[in-house]
Amino acid sequence: MQLSMPLMRRALFAFAILAAAPLLTVSPAAAAQNVAEAFVDDNIHKGLDILKDKKLNTVQRRDQFETLLLGLVDVRRIALFTLGQYRRTAPPEDVEAFVGAFKNYATAAYQSYFAKYTNKNLKVIGSTQRNPTDFIVQTQLVDPGSSQQPAEVDFRVRTDAGKPVLVDVAYQGIWLSLEERDQFVAFLGQNNGNVRTLISHLSELAVNLGKPTQ
Amino acid sequence: MRGLRSVVLGLCGLLLAGCAAPAPQAVNDPYEPFNREALKRNAKIDKYIVIPAVEAYFSLVPEDGRRGVHNFLGNLALPTIFVNDMLQGEVSRAGKSMWRLTVNSTMGLGGFLDPASKMGIPGHREDFGQTLAVWGVGEGPYLILPLLGPGNPRDVAGLAVDAVIDPTNQIRFKQHIWWSAGREFFTLLDLKGQTYQTVQGIQRSSVDYYSSLRSLYRQMRNEQIRNGRKSGEDLPDF
Repeated sequence: MQLSMPLMRRALFAFAILAAAPLLTVSPAAAAQNVAEAFVDDNIHKGLDILKDKKLNTVQRRDQFETLLLGLVDVRRIALFTLGQYRRTAPPEDVEAFVGAFKNYATAAYQSYFAKYTNKNLKVIGSTQRNPTDFIVQTQLVDPGSSQQPAEVDFRVRTDAGKPVLVDVAYQGIWLSLEERDQFVAFLGQNNGNVRTLISHLSELAVNLGKPTQ
Repeated sequence: MRGLRSVVLGLCGLLLAGCAAPAPQAVNDPYEPFNREALKRNAKIDKYIVIPAVEAYFSLVPEDGRRGVHNFLGNLALPTIFVNDMLQGEVSRAGKSMWRLTVNSTMGLGGFLDPASKMGIPGHREDFGQTLAVWGVGEGPYLILPLLGPGNPRDVAGLAVDAVIDPTNQIRFKQHIWWSAGREFFTLLDLKGQTYQTVQGIQRSSVDYYSSLRSLYRQMRNEQIRNGRKSGEDLPDF
């Protein structure tokens, strides 16, 4: 059977569209991965810009960093995770008070943590997907004035809340939320699971971390 | 030969001690009360001896000199790293270790300079504790070692075997004891000099410094054992 010229042209056109389709469309997983990478790339630079802005005084810097951080980080989710098994046994009002204390502590701790890297450049190098809404974005922290190897910093991003949120950060393979959970659970184990004691300790630490180092 | 035998016996003893330890808890730290005391003793040694020595080192030796010492000590460790690379079947990394040793020992003036990094052959760490982990040996209970800090029986055994592997320990000469003591002293000074500000930062931001250190040490060792290869699967869900 022979095809007429217009029919053949149409068939060829349809075949070309089908062949090119995988190149033209991006799978939802890949798109989400790109969203996670772009989220880290944009916002971590914003955070570092605030911390290195010499025009801001200490209070302005802290306030701007806190506003940015609270918009990016799912503090409640991290706080509940760091309570470990005590999340289930602690009175709900203590858990809520803990989330508030953790927010202040995390803001001070993250600020002190990121302030060390303001003279370095952060470059997103890729990401891996743990499940459809859980990504690890890999970055390198390059010190322009040093011949040392770049440090590896990973950001864990969740996208199940409708928009990307940061839930953990790892420096050279050491995850901050895991370390916080380990020490909070150990502390609670030594204090009969009393979340109130942990809250007062965290509040003191948040104040101390906000003070300049000697 | 007697030295080697005692190291091997010590190694077996340590491994058995690790196996005979009480059933693992969630944090596998059955000796926690002793470890907490050991950490306090280490903190006192750090405060009164090590940190003043580090401060004196920083004020007497300029940054370039300290970097030279760091490079030299790193170069001395390369034969041991090479052997451990091979024992782990990491042939490519072993090749890099050998290249670093060759380049830095010659062009790097005996290892004081690090031209290999500039040539795209960055350094990496490897030890027999990591080799044991790759071979499937469990870490055993958490320990705080005098002066050295966090560890476990597997890493202690690794230290002993690394001392046997190290070729500089096989060359006997008249002042060998002074060479060894000097090397250990500067290794400790270099390590503490590089980490003491970080450690102070951790102390300042910790609710419980002991358990924070335990978590950081275990995560760091696991990362070293994986050789930096990403493994997001073992992360807990939030």
